[in-house]
Amino acid sequence: MIAAGNSSRNSFVLLRIGAHRFALPAALIAELAPPVKLHTFPHTSHSVSGVIIRRRRIVPVYDAGSLLLAKNASGQQFYLVVRRAGGASELSAIPVSGECEMATGETQPPEDDRPAYVAGTLAIGEDTVDVLDLEALITSAPATIAESIRGEARS
Amino acid sequence: MSAAGEHNEKPARRGKPEAVILFWVANQMFAIAAESVQEIRSTDSLAGSANEIEQQAVPKVRHTLEWGRRLCYVVNAGVHFDLPVTRPTLVLIVRRMRIAVLVDRIDRMAEIPAMYPLPRAFGGEERRWYRGLAYIDDTVIPVVEPSGFLSAEELTVLDHAMKLVASQREMEGAVQA
Repeated sequence: MIAAGNSSRNSFVLLRIGAHRFALPAALIAELAPPVKLHTFPHTSHSVSGVIIRRRRIVPVYDAGSLLLAKNASGQQFYLVVRRAGGASELSAIPVSGECEMATGETQPPEDDRPAYVAGTLAIGEDTVDVLDLEALITSAPATIAESIRGEARS
Repeated sequence: MSAAGEHNEKPARRGKPEAVILFWVANQMFAIAAESVQEIRSTDSLAGSANEIEQQAVPKVRHTLEWGRRLCYVVNAGVHFDLPVTRPTLVLIVRRMRIAVLVDRIDRMAEIPAMYPLPRAFGGEERRWYRGLAYIDDTVIPVVEPSGFLSAEELTVLDHAMKLVASQREMEGAVQA
């Protein structure tokens, strides 16, 4: 992981899922885990791909690629282990490429037409990156999210 | 935040040790508490005591099995878990329930040091299917909840279908007589 700025209360981790960059508040991140074994078993929870073992705990893995892009994002070999908001002791993980960056900055509130999983936007140089609300993301219908992403790509 | 290298770690132990039977359905291994299984029989040995259900009231149940004084519904575990189609060779007869389960093969018996709760991220039918997760030989294995193979609603539907079949047979018998 590359540190691209000073850590502060407005620190973010920038991650790439497919061709898109997103930001997550650094305070939520517990660990960038290496490509450990993904354990899978039958279930009907659409957003979960399996579990990994980290820090002597069973950590569910959310398939952020299929949630955000409606397809498995290839090359996502590492896992970003995230503390759930609201003080829940449960950790969650999302597959990411190893290219995560740290960044600092002020978030701007999202525009009204932005989907619920966008908590705000973060200006990084000339780019604007969506700050993910992980709780909203994993409770959203994947089809709705994918359509939202496709809509952005068209506009 | 830390970027840690891969290292061999086991989840922290919680709960009590428990004897389980490890079994396979398609390409997936499951565990079931040994004490909840009354008997394991080969499907070949049940030819005389199993009856086909003509009505497909619950698709995963195609046979009944008369076991002692019980009528058990035989659940195809592959269909139940939506796994690839296989040819099951064994049936697990569940203790104190009207459920028998078709599985591919038994792997072995084992003692699990602890069972871990299913993470809350899993919010679907699996909450009814599994008691929790076990960690054996570096693999996470779901521990099935025997009552999860048939819900109360499914049992009601099957009982109703069986009553219909019985009354149909009675009528056919009366007509022939």
